[in-house]
Amino acid sequence: MNFDIRELIYIILALPLIFSAISAANFLGKDVLHWLNRLVATGVGAAIVMLLMTFDSDIPFAGQYIYLDALSMWMLIIIGTLYFAFAWTSKAYLDRDTNKRYGYLRRFGYLEGRFYALSHVFVWIMLLVVLVNNLGLMWVTIEATTLVSALLVAFKFTRNSLEATWKYVMVCTVGICLALLGTIIVYYIQLNTMGSENALNWLYLSQHSKLMDPAMAKFALCFLFVGYGTKIGLAPMHSWLPDAYSEAPALTSGLLSGSLCSCAVYVLIRNIIILMPAIGIDFISSLCLFFGLFTIAVAVPFVVVQRDIKRMLAYSSMENYGLMMAAFGLFVPVAAQAMLLNLFNHALVKFSLFYMAGTVIGEYGTKNMMRIHGMMVQVPRSATFLLLGIVALLGMPPFGIFFSKFYMLYGFFVSDHPCLGVLTLVLLAGMLIGILYHVLRMLGGRPKRKAAGELFGFIDSLVIAGLLIFGFVVSAGLGEITILNHLINNAAKIVLGGVA
Amino acid sequence: MDYLVVFLVLVVFLQTRVTDLKRAVVCLASQSVIIAIACFVIGFSHGNDIHAVMPGVLTLIVKVIFIPGAVYRLVQKLKNEREIVSASNVNYSTMAAALFLVMGYALVERLMPGAAGRDIVASSILMIMTGLSLMVLRKRAIIQICGLITLENGIYLLGLLMTEGLPLVVELGVFLDVLIAVVVLVILTSRMRLSFMTTDTSVMKKLKG
Repeated sequence: MNFDIRELIYIILALPLIFSAISAANFLGKDVLHWLNRLVATGVGAAIVMLLMTFDSDIPFAGQYIYLDALSMWMLIIIGTLYFAFAWTSKAYLDRDTNKRYGYLRRFGYLEGRFYALSHVFVWIMLLVVLVNNLGLMWVTIEATTLVSALLVAFKFTRNSLEATWKYVMVCTVGICLALLGTIIVYYIQLNTMGSENALNWLYLSQHSKLMDPAMAKFALCFLFVGYGTKIGLAPMHSWLPDAYSEAPALTSGLLSGSLCSCAVYVLIRNIIILMPAIGIDFISSLCLFFGLFTIAVAVPFVVVQRDIKRMLAYSSMENYGLMMAAFGLFVPVAAQAMLLNLFNHALVKFSLFYMAGTVIGEYGTKNMMRIHGMMVQVPRSATFLLLGIVALLGMPPFGIFFSKFYMLYGFFVSDHPCLGVLTLVLLAGMLIGILYHVLRMLGGRPKRKAAGELFGFIDSLVIAGLLIFGFVVSAGLGEITILNHLINNAAKIVLGGVA
Repeated sequence: MDYLVVFLVLVVFLQTRVTDLKRAVVCLASQSVIIAIACFVIGFSHGNDIHAVMPGVLTLIVKVIFIPGAVYRLVQKLKNEREIVSASNVNYSTMAAALFLVMGYALVERLMPGAAGRDIVASSILMIMTGLSLMVLRKRAIIQICGLITLENGIYLLGLLMTEGLPLVVELGVFLDVLIAVVVLVILTSRMRLSFMTTDTSVMKKLKG
């Protein structure tokens, strides 16, 4: 079978939508639905792999509304991997959550179709975010992800999830409205300097970005940074993030943290690339460094005193995105590459950890880490994988995050910010101590409560182990895998926008 | 155009005074009507093609008919729900709106002295800030939704004045998003009524830290 790039993109965009329409209609049996879900995600994954093979990352592909370059290809790989992992773990998750005895969704077994429909639409919109070529459409799709994922966060419609969703929609919509204002200002600058041809087209704007008016560009950047920063969960605007992540179904939390935040980072970077030549990198650099490090600093104390396992993971996600924004703000190639690599690694590891947190919650019937002891004795398989996942998340070798975090920190020292590098190291150490303390407490000790039994099945452990190994292989062997190496080099070049 | 601005400011101030939910929705609808008229005025002053009519028609359909309609249907289901707040809360939001109006004019004078659309820019800043203050100061879910739409209307008006309308695809997308946002919020509010027996968002304060 030989497809060209355009056909592959159409396949990638068509399959999830068709499946979600089918599952929303809700006429298929459950088994068929589960298998079709896996089939669709595998198909999309295969299409992304084929796209990676056919696509030459030196030559971007530009259609009327679609634009594919190395950066969007890299994002497609992240989203595709998570989509694949989602589809292969969703049956076990739903079986557990709709279990007659202890599941959250036990009275709502018939909602599985709706869950699939919403999740696949959610992934579909994220695929769209990285494939559209227009800054306005990027805004539209990012806002659409908020709304679709809001229904997923509130899926159980418990009191807590309603509260989390209300906060999520309100805070994110206001933030995103500010980003709309920023986008409008960018369009205004474009109208004044380049005319209304190719309105808000990313490629056109990035080629002509030197023409922009610096003062107005700075004005636009402030709104865009606050707007998309809200969506990423940068520090003063993060209030929705731990609530939404902790109350959403485990798989949704994984997708929110792993791929949606990456998409927001992606869109923010796309906007910054355009405004960079007009503003100059000093301003952008200090903005990103300050907010990135501030985010880490805010997250650390909350992790240390945390009792809710999913909130702890949510704060760790803030820490990772803070570090990535700071690394982006350094504007050195090695840090930019490591940032892209960390987007990938963090997405994989965080998805597995949220999934495992969901498993642990199912096993013990509580989210409170203080009430879980002796997992190693009671549920050895989940305990082992939880430990592996946490070790991977904290950036210990040999897992993927080790490589990316190491190079990001290295970036601080090569770009003449040694003090900030030391500060980051101290903050990361605090994070490590907090998370490790909580997790080791859960794993060790004598069991005090009865667990519901080992809920971590065979396929799940294969998928999770696969994710961890895949992250390791890609990060450690990046120099050897020519096609990925070439891709990430080009993507880092796009991120830096020819500055460094 | 001057009359429109006067009416707009009047409606926005009224919005901050209203505590009855039905009246708040009517207020929202009339505010959107004014925005729609402004869309037509600005559109026809720049040309006669489809792009001139489109924003106005879309505003009429989405923001005047559909959104207030959906919210109004929800409000009818809420029995004797009135925003029970001390009068000071309402007074604070009115005071805030007055401050925002002054601030808007001061900002416009500073940034673009003697510009043509001075009043409209000031009133759209008023709408953006008042929308925000309604969402922060008020507790009722419905009023917060009204605040969100006011904020969105303000940004939209500002964008319309600055750029004579976004590209058509983007414009359609923005309207679609606003529409979905309101649908999602209405679903959440009706669920809130079932779970909490009220739509007062101040009862939701369990998630912390």
